[in-house]
Amino acid sequence: MLALLRIAKSIVFISSLLFVISILPTHSVYSRDTSPSSSDLGPITVRAFDTDNDAGGSITVEWDDPGYERLSGFAGFLVWRTNTLTGTSDSVEVTPFGTRTYDDRSVSDDSTYSYSVAALVNGERLMSTPSMQVRSSKQWFDGRLTWVLILGLIICGAVIYFIESAKRGTKLFLRRIAGLEAIDEAVGRATEMGRPILFVAGIQDMDDVQTIAGLTILGSIARTVAEYDTKINMPVRASLVMTAARETIKHAYVTAGRPDAYNDDMVHYVTDEQFGFVAAVDGIMVRERPAACFFLGAFFAESLIMAETGNSIGAIQVAGTAMPAQLPFFVAACDYTLIGEELFAASAYLSGEPRQLGSLKGADVGKAIAMIVILVGVIATTIASAWNSESMLWIENLLRQMFSTG
Amino acid sequence: MKRQIPMLILSAVGTLLVVSVFIPSARHWQEDASLYFDIIAVFAFFLGGGNLIRVHAEKVSRKSAGWIYSVVTLLGFGIMLVTGLFKIGNPNGIAGDISQAGSYFQLLFQYVMSPLNSTMYALLAFYVASASYRAFRAKNTEATILLVAAFVILLGRTALGVLLTNWIPAQFSVLQVPNLAIWIMNAPNLAGQRAIMIGISLGVISMSLRLLLGIERSYLGGDN
Amino acid sequence: MDGAVISTWLAALLTLGIMSFVYKDNLYYKICEAIFIGISAGYWFITYFWDSLYRIAWIGVVHEGRYVLLGGVVLGAMMLMRLFGKIGWIARWPLAFIVGATAGLKMMVYFTTNAMAQIHGTVDDTMVAFGGGDLYDLIGRLVILIGTVTGLIYFYFSKEHKGLFGGVAKVGTWFLMITFGASFGYTVMSRMSLLLGRIEFLLTDWLKLVK
Repeated sequence: MLALLRIAKSIVFISSLLFVISILPTHSVYSRDTSPSSSDLGPITVRAFDTDNDAGGSITVEWDDPGYERLSGFAGFLVWRTNTLTGTSDSVEVTPFGTRTYDDRSVSDDSTYSYSVAALVNGERLMSTPSMQVRSSKQWFDGRLTWVLILGLIICGAVIYFIESAKRGTKLFLRRIAGLEAIDEAVGRATEMGRPILFVAGIQDMDDVQTIAGLTILGSIARTVAEYDTKINMPVRASLVMTAARETIKHAYVTAGRPDAYNDDMVHYVTDEQFGFVAAVDGIMVRERPAACFFLGAFFAESLIMAETGNSIGAIQVAGTAMPAQLPFFVAACDYTLIGEELFAASAYLSGEPRQLGSLKGADVGKAIAMIVILVGVIATTIASAWNSESMLWIENLLRQMFSTG
Repeated sequence: MKRQIPMLILSAVGTLLVVSVFIPSARHWQEDASLYFDIIAVFAFFLGGGNLIRVHAEKVSRKSAGWIYSVVTLLGFGIMLVTGLFKIGNPNGIAGDISQAGSYFQLLFQYVMSPLNSTMYALLAFYVASASYRAFRAKNTEATILLVAAFVILLGRTALGVLLTNWIPAQFSVLQVPNLAIWIMNAPNLAGQRAIMIGISLGVISMSLRLLLGIERSYLGGDN
Repeated sequence: MDGAVISTWLAALLTLGIMSFVYKDNLYYKICEAIFIGISAGYWFITYFWDSLYRIAWIGVVHEGRYVLLGGVVLGAMMLMRLFGKIGWIARWPLAFIVGATAGLKMMVYFTTNAMAQIHGTVDDTMVAFGGGDLYDLIGRLVILIGTVTGLIYFYFSKEHKGLFGGVAKVGTWFLMITFGASFGYTVMSRMSLLLGRIEFLLTDWLKLVK
């Protein structure tokens, strides 16, 4: 134990000595340089500061290169750190060519540090003077997101405002969506034909908001299914979706006053594999020949395989997704397609509940803001560039700043 | 009680995660939530896998139509479980990585699952052809616009597009099919994509708020 | 016959089995489908088991002392309560956790990466347009402006699509259709190449007709 302590003390002593040696001759380093060209160069200036908008534990180091990178034999810049509380120093990183900044994430908020940067030329370290002392700290708010917060609050505020005003009984108008009106028709047709309906809530798990949107629509469809006493078949790709879908359908059957008609087998797990799932769904479609197919959720390449198979068996098909790349295939192969936002609005529409409908009005405020911003931006820029208007330039810059997320 | 506590959990977790976006030191909550999801999902798989076994076992025991295929499915499932859990044939034994090449589990993946996967994916070629055929019989303005745009883009990506329109003089080069295809991608297509994406994000915001405020909760079941 | 020949034959037979579905549903396809479901469900269960349960939960908690993950294990265990009829409702807690987390997180992700970024992109594009560039650029950017705004009007729910507003929304649907057409046309070739890939496997690796 004593021996260990001695070794530790020796290490601290030697490293302190090395640190003092490395700091003391800083100014003479340049004069020691044997390279004629490097002696012409000025010192490296180093700045170290707490990294902004982070959770602490990080200091950013920046330096200027007076021209060392152009010297032959230049191997990189060495970032050298000194803990000014303990007096220990260590090399942190040799940065790649062209780099003038380094984010040191191996610091503690409880210590203070000083940084030097050395140009490594022909095996020599041409050390800068140390930076000012700096301490890392965490920020309680990410300043870059101020406009995200303000705009988010405005849109969320609008949604909540309309929800509340709908709750108070204000009549809200919403236009019709053809795809949603087709849902009852599709379930009705399945009932008449005595054939089941097929529901696929996409191929993603519950951590995708589109799956949740699909399930909320399932709630409404399942109520109609329960009332009509139609059969529903819902294969799922993820076990969590199976559990959530069962809760949804069960609740719908209870609401429709037919709890006895519900059974868990309406929803069944197939496989987590994307195309294995598709192979099974295709099989179900051609063998059970559902009269109506609903594809509502997140889909990838399989969208077209399923929609075309459904088309080949003559089923009424209603699809909806927020995957822009898959929308064309649904549009081409299905009778009705809920495009993007319509998928998320559908359950509110179908529920007919004022508060839910109110939330859609709130989203419309968001769209209005988007359109106004785009148009104001264009007008401001046009005027600013045509007549050199300072105030319009100010508006242009403000808009750029507002919507910059980087 | 059966709905109130889940509602409370939902609202609290959702709100905390929204807040965590703005607070740098709370951002790790998002990572933790994602790890929680992974863990919950694997527990849920015991329900899903159990359901798979039950559905197919019932078919076999009842000898209902197609029961023989259920035997095949159960066999396949069982073989993967045994080879994967005990890492049979894994060059590094039970301590080896599951994706280690040469294990029976990986061989089954490589020679059974992988070709099945690629072929099912490749079937898209047939379906894209049948969907295109239907699109060719465009009946209204919208379908015609879709068809024309698709045709120009498709042609623009082939040598035929170059051959057909390279006679167009340079000052009207924008009308050459490959250039027209690029213009469609960069202008009207981009505009449509943007409208869709802005709409989607507002849709997600309004739906998320309905969920967090407890207005939309059908997926949580009733009080039964 | 060595292993490589057997595996190629196996892959080829499975490939043909799946392809036979294009003609019609048949016994061969049904067998391949059954194999596919069983093998792939097992594959994913094992993958999740080792990657999530073992690597994240077990190694994380027991070996790395990340006790915060115990919360996930408890919620996961609650999920299994579904197996016990009377207390099955407890499974709603982990479900509520996931839905809450998804709603909260995705709301912010979509807001910043979709809404903010796309508005910024549109403003940026159109701002450049009127500041300079040739006629070709100007038309392109004018089209982006008109397309984005009319597209948004199509998604506007609060007003009936009638009269002038209806006309503008109609223009919006045309832009959406161009977008869909462009995606469609862009994808066709890549889908064809997938099929060519499988045919190449059959002809080269299996039948060895092509070298």
